[in-house]
Amino acid sequence: MNYHLVVLGCQMNQSDSERVKRVVEEMGLVETLNEDDADLIGIIACSVRQKAIDKVYTKIQKWNSLKNKKPLITFATGCILPDDKLKFLKQFDLVFDIGEVLSLPKLIAQYGVSSPLVNALGMAKKLSFPSKSDISLDAIMVDSDVMIRSDIKPTASFLSPLKRKTISFENQQWEVKPKYNSGFEAYVPIQNGCDKFCTFCAVPYTRGREVSRPSTEILDEINHLVASGYKSITLLGQNVNSYGKDSQGSELSFADLLSAVGEIIEKARADVWVYFTSPHPRDMTREVIEVISRYSCLAKQIHLPLQSGDNKVLIRMNRKHNMDRYREIVGWIRELLPTATLFTDIIVGFTGESDEQFDRTRLAMNEFKYNMAYIATYSPRPGAASFQWADDVDHAVKKERLAVLTTDLVVSASEYTSQMMHQTIKILVRNDDRKQGYLTGHTEGKIVVRFACDDKALIGQFVQIKVTSTTPFSVEGNLV
Amino acid sequence: MSRRPYQLHEILEKRVLTDSTFVLRFERKELEFKAGQHISVGPPNGIHTREYSVYSAVNDNAIEILVKEVMGGLVSPALNHLKEGDMVVVQDPVGYFSLPVNHTPTSKYLFIASGTGISPFHCFVKTIPNLNYQLVHGVKYVGEAYEKHHYDKKRLTVCTSREGKGDFYGRVTTYLQTQNIDKETHCYVCGNCDMIHDVYDILEEKGVPSAQIHAEVYF
Repeated sequence: MNYHLVVLGCQMNQSDSERVKRVVEEMGLVETLNEDDADLIGIIACSVRQKAIDKVYTKIQKWNSLKNKKPLITFATGCILPDDKLKFLKQFDLVFDIGEVLSLPKLIAQYGVSSPLVNALGMAKKLSFPSKSDISLDAIMVDSDVMIRSDIKPTASFLSPLKRKTISFENQQWEVKPKYNSGFEAYVPIQNGCDKFCTFCAVPYTRGREVSRPSTEILDEINHLVASGYKSITLLGQNVNSYGKDSQGSELSFADLLSAVGEIIEKARADVWVYFTSPHPRDMTREVIEVISRYSCLAKQIHLPLQSGDNKVLIRMNRKHNMDRYREIVGWIRELLPTATLFTDIIVGFTGESDEQFDRTRLAMNEFKYNMAYIATYSPRPGAASFQWADDVDHAVKKERLAVLTTDLVVSASEYTSQMMHQTIKILVRNDDRKQGYLTGHTEGKIVVRFACDDKALIGQFVQIKVTSTTPFSVEGNLV
Repeated sequence: MSRRPYQLHEILEKRVLTDSTFVLRFERKELEFKAGQHISVGPPNGIHTREYSVYSAVNDNAIEILVKEVMGGLVSPALNHLKEGDMVVVQDPVGYFSLPVNHTPTSKYLFIASGTGISPFHCFVKTIPNLNYQLVHGVKYVGEAYEKHHYDKKRLTVCTSREGKGDFYGRVTTYLQTQNIDKETHCYVCGNCDMIHDVYDILEEKGVPSAQIHAEVYF
């Protein structure tokens, strides 16, 4: 039997998909890239933009029409708003929270698809718990109300060895060893959900509140990746630097976690770049920047979302930081990480954004000299608080503001890349370039580099490149 | 202690304040919060919840929220149909609209609210005895000065925009323009975004540093 998985949205969904794949493949299913060949089709949905949700509806219509020709089971998971979830229940065979991924084999078994894993789950005996939120150490939870005791010896070998003293009923995906999509780059989820309630964003309503993954599990995964020769590791979370704040002192802080990661990699004498995304300015501390400065493996690349350069727009966005705060953090970065590249996210044309307010964002762009900015024109997202407010900035004005900021970005990005000319730089080779006979990769600061080479064995390796030409966002060079 | 999933809490009391506004008082259970934080609350049989600042004091043995029914809303009309003995679903508190870490008994506060935006200030005042505050509450009619007897009369100014029965006839912004504001004052603003923006401008004009202006947008 074959399965096909469609993944929409951010790196977190990519990371979740690696866990879904593992669970499905443990059932004996084989991945196919052709949905017509699939017996099981799933989608990891994204609610960040309406367009992504519309894509889910388009897909399921097609998949349901396939059911006239052959047996097919469909499922949806990922970031789904409550209203969409109700609608999906009418169209998909299965809809579940990603945190319930360990229930998937049992759910699929209800359609007559059995596997060794499902049989193993069938051995489990139901237990009742004094509290629904936590269960004790000597058990592995496989769904909301079924457990396998450790003495049952489950065949579910894809489950990570337990390190924590209790297991939450949420975020079961962290219990699954992922099937990494790459042999040299890995995403490691450290936190899920969001407490910030930015008015343009629906994540608190799809992924729930911030929950930190136990640090023991994170560090185990880092150890495994380092031992396996991974070259790039990205710590993931909606507010990655809020790590530990939900645990009320019983968990490491984000700075401590970074430090522990740095220690593991230094002790192993491994050549690895560690990134994290996305941090929130509200929770960024000088200590985090200091830790990054101490460990060479902690990449000197910071993604710090700005969203707007105007304090009043930031208030309307419910961003919980102001420009003074943002400026202070950038000051720490420039002081302690002088070689760091700085990336950001910006929304133009947010509800009520005046010309003056936009001009302040432009000033901020010029002040902070970003290497990259992901600039979006505002579009109301159902489920987000701002959806009820008038989308009162004309579309043409939004596009113009986007163009203006992009032009400014080109200037600041060029200033950086032009200084790379004639330098010899270390890069991680990632894949074939679109240009025939070229490979591409990126620097520690995530500046894209391409070079003439057809030796695909270099993919996944660090190499030295001498830069021969530059553009605003990338450079080209020769293999040294 | 890790986050709890949604919990059911029994409603202990419903206090009707106006035709559309009421206080729901429900079981505390193990819910811990900081003054100024909000919780997500919804009917037990629905799929939606909404965020409400906690209205009651941190040391109260129950939890209260102040709710204004929004016509056509997904949550507040359903909450208004509930009665004592019914359940609500509640998610643990979050939020950053708290008094500053360097709070001292002599710290001066100016609280500015519109409508139900008074909720976190009610929590502050009930939680911290002898808090050195002035509260400016903007409403249309004086009947919307929710439970004004809970505040020290000398510290509360009700600004009414549609009738002259409050302490000041006009909007909070008009009132604030007439006031001298000490630059050392910590200013907290809660309510609709347009009011917050206007107040923000006034406070900046009066020389209050942006680091001392704290805003919580109600939506």
